[in-house]
Amino acid sequence: MLQLDQNNLLITKTLTERVNAVEEKSLDRIVTDFDFTTYHLLTFPDQKNQILISVYLKCWDDLVKYGVVDYLKGKYSPYSDVLTILDPKDAETNYNYSIVLDLERARQSDATSVINEISYLKRHCLAAPFERGFARYDELAEKYASSNTYSEEIQGELLTEEVLVIKYRGAEECIFIKPSFDRVTVIFSTTFKDEMDKTFGKVFLQEFVDARKRSVQTAPQVLFTHNEPPLDIRKAAPTTKFDTNKGYVTFVLFPRHLVKGDRRDNCISHIQYFRNYFHYHIKCSKAYMHSRMRHRVKEFLKVLNRAKPENVDNDGRAIENRKTASGRRFDARA
Amino acid sequence: MGFAGNPEPSFVFPTVIATHGSSTSGASGGGKSTVSAPSRGGPGGGPPPVASKPGHLASKRGIDDLDFFIGDEAIANSKTYSLHYPIKHGMVDNWDHMERFWAQSIFKYLRAEPEDHYVLLTEPPLNPPENRENTAEIMFESFNIQGLYIAVQAVLALAASWTSSKVTERNLTGVVIDSGDGVTHTIPVADGYVIGSSIKHIPIAGRNITEFVLNLLRDRGEQAHIPPEDQLRVAEKIKEDYTYVCQDIVKEIRKYDTDPYKYFARFAGEHSVTGRKYDIDIGYERFLAPEIFFNPEIYSSDFLTPLPEVVDNVIQTSPIDVRRGLYKNIVLSGGSTMFKDFGRRLQRDIKHIVDGRIAHSEQASGNLMRSTGVDVNVVTHKRQRYAVWYGGSLMASTPEFYNVAHTKQQYEEFGPSLVRRFSVFGSSS
Repeated sequence: MLQLDQNNLLITKTLTERVNAVEEKSLDRIVTDFDFTTYHLLTFPDQKNQILISVYLKCWDDLVKYGVVDYLKGKYSPYSDVLTILDPKDAETNYNYSIVLDLERARQSDATSVINEISYLKRHCLAAPFERGFARYDELAEKYASSNTYSEEIQGELLTEEVLVIKYRGAEECIFIKPSFDRVTVIFSTTFKDEMDKTFGKVFLQEFVDARKRSVQTAPQVLFTHNEPPLDIRKAAPTTKFDTNKGYVTFVLFPRHLVKGDRRDNCISHIQYFRNYFHYHIKCSKAYMHSRMRHRVKEFLKVLNRAKPENVDNDGRAIENRKTASGRRFDARA
Repeated sequence: MGFAGNPEPSFVFPTVIATHGSSTSGASGGGKSTVSAPSRGGPGGGPPPVASKPGHLASKRGIDDLDFFIGDEAIANSKTYSLHYPIKHGMVDNWDHMERFWAQSIFKYLRAEPEDHYVLLTEPPLNPPENRENTAEIMFESFNIQGLYIAVQAVLALAASWTSSKVTERNLTGVVIDSGDGVTHTIPVADGYVIGSSIKHIPIAGRNITEFVLNLLRDRGEQAHIPPEDQLRVAEKIKEDYTYVCQDIVKEIRKYDTDPYKYFARFAGEHSVTGRKYDIDIGYERFLAPEIFFNPEIYSSDFLTPLPEVVDNVIQTSPIDVRRGLYKNIVLSGGSTMFKDFGRRLQRDIKHIVDGRIAHSEQASGNLMRSTGVDVNVVTHKRQRYAVWYGGSLMASTPEFYNVAHTKQQYEEFGPSLVRRFSVFGSSS
């Protein structure tokens, strides 16, 4: 499993089961996703064919600023005959966003596509700011299409361009999106809880940088800085104390990554899961290292066991006590 | 596996891992042989399973250690991958596979960042402490989890029984009868500690019942109607949907003989490939199947002690001061204890044995002593099938859990030997 899936398997599984089920049963289940995301799947006590799906995201307030509600409406309104979108104000307590799935109607139509969309709920939530950033890029690209972009005033304007900040794991770890006329810069900040993770992370990210040099020229440019935020986001980054466990990963997305349609969607889905992907691979490489270590230890033990002298007297000389097949010794008779 | 606070596990799948290519090389860890070929071209490494394309980064560095499936997906891919079962007889056997199994279950199925969570794992009774240490090492060092608690399965099963209305006091003393697919254990637990010396295993469990149902069908000639490839499935279906435990086997047979139409059930099946329909009668196997727990001689000739007697033995070999508590709280767990009236029959039979013994000892004392009698109570509840999981979910959702779990700081302070000592859950409540 090289990539992590963007959709939530458990939601897909639960809802599919529910849609195909013969009898209605009540359901009350909490499902988690990365970055402290929680879903709650719940049937209403009196109507068991209505499932309330609520989601909680840590960075919801940021997302609302960047128009997540409208974006989700755009994503889910095609299914309005089976899905009812609740106003965010009416969402379940402690959750940010709720939708209601009507099982009865879902059964009549093809439910797989709507279930699929629901399982991408988190992806869609996080996609909103990216869409916003990319839309801003479109605007800028058009605006400056025929002007000299190297001129001082345009450069100055670009410098003041707003940076979109998503505090997706609390204040410590953020995503910054900075649109420009010819590129979009996406910067992740991430903290490492472990010294070893930091080292693995560095090696792993170096690989990204090298990959671009070596074979995959079309990949976005990746920069990695440690401890202090890159210049692009100096202003937007919360000025916390000097933190050695913090790393910043910068992706520079070029127009070829931002072609509208599938490619843009694909780009969004992959980039927002970058942190999880990154930490997943750190863990996998550790697991791999461990398996190598176990293997090595086993080999060394074999060598040690071979090197053990069989029978040694007190002076370290080998004792000759070979036996015959019947077990008798060649004892020297006095 | 699943999250605390949910009534059912999120995912249930076998602990199996499918890796690529190691079936031919004979090395126990799949994919071990591929990386950094120049440094170790010796006899240790087999040929790389995937033909490497020169210049391609992925094959150069080797990502075969990520190329595997777990659980049901592994079984579905068993044609192209080789299957390994990292857990043997309830104990972890292959740590390489187990570590990767955990990695994928956390990231792919649970979709959680382990650094943000506490983890509760279960272990069988009599798990060697080295295994616990290894587990803690992997959990804390590879996954950086916040906290870990390793619970004994039997104790969790006891905790799950608290949901039953019959249980009034929440204590952790009792006998757990855990019957799964392969083997049945009876485990006495006193105040959260397993009495290891009195654990008994019974080689009769779910798989044997299915086999027995199949035998009965064969004897009556019903089997001819079932397509051969579906036989096991049908037998399992019968076992799960139609069987119950009778109170008196002779009476039950007579009842069936006099009025077969009333008691025989019909099973309508469909051929899984061709879709052809077929019907079979289900007769005596409805009550005979679970009967092999109580009269094992009808099934096997190797093991002849009925379950109630085994339970009684287990309690009699336990320390004398906990026996009364053990009789009072006999808890069922696992799928093969789900038969209707199983608990009632077991309770009756054990009571019978106990009363017999009391009467005997009263007589032996010359009728001078009178016993106050011993309460025998078998607890059945709705969560029996995943009792252990449910108990874990219950435990982990209490605030107390965070006090008893070992945290990462503690681990860094003491090292893996930390998990050798553990505080018992719920001992204060």
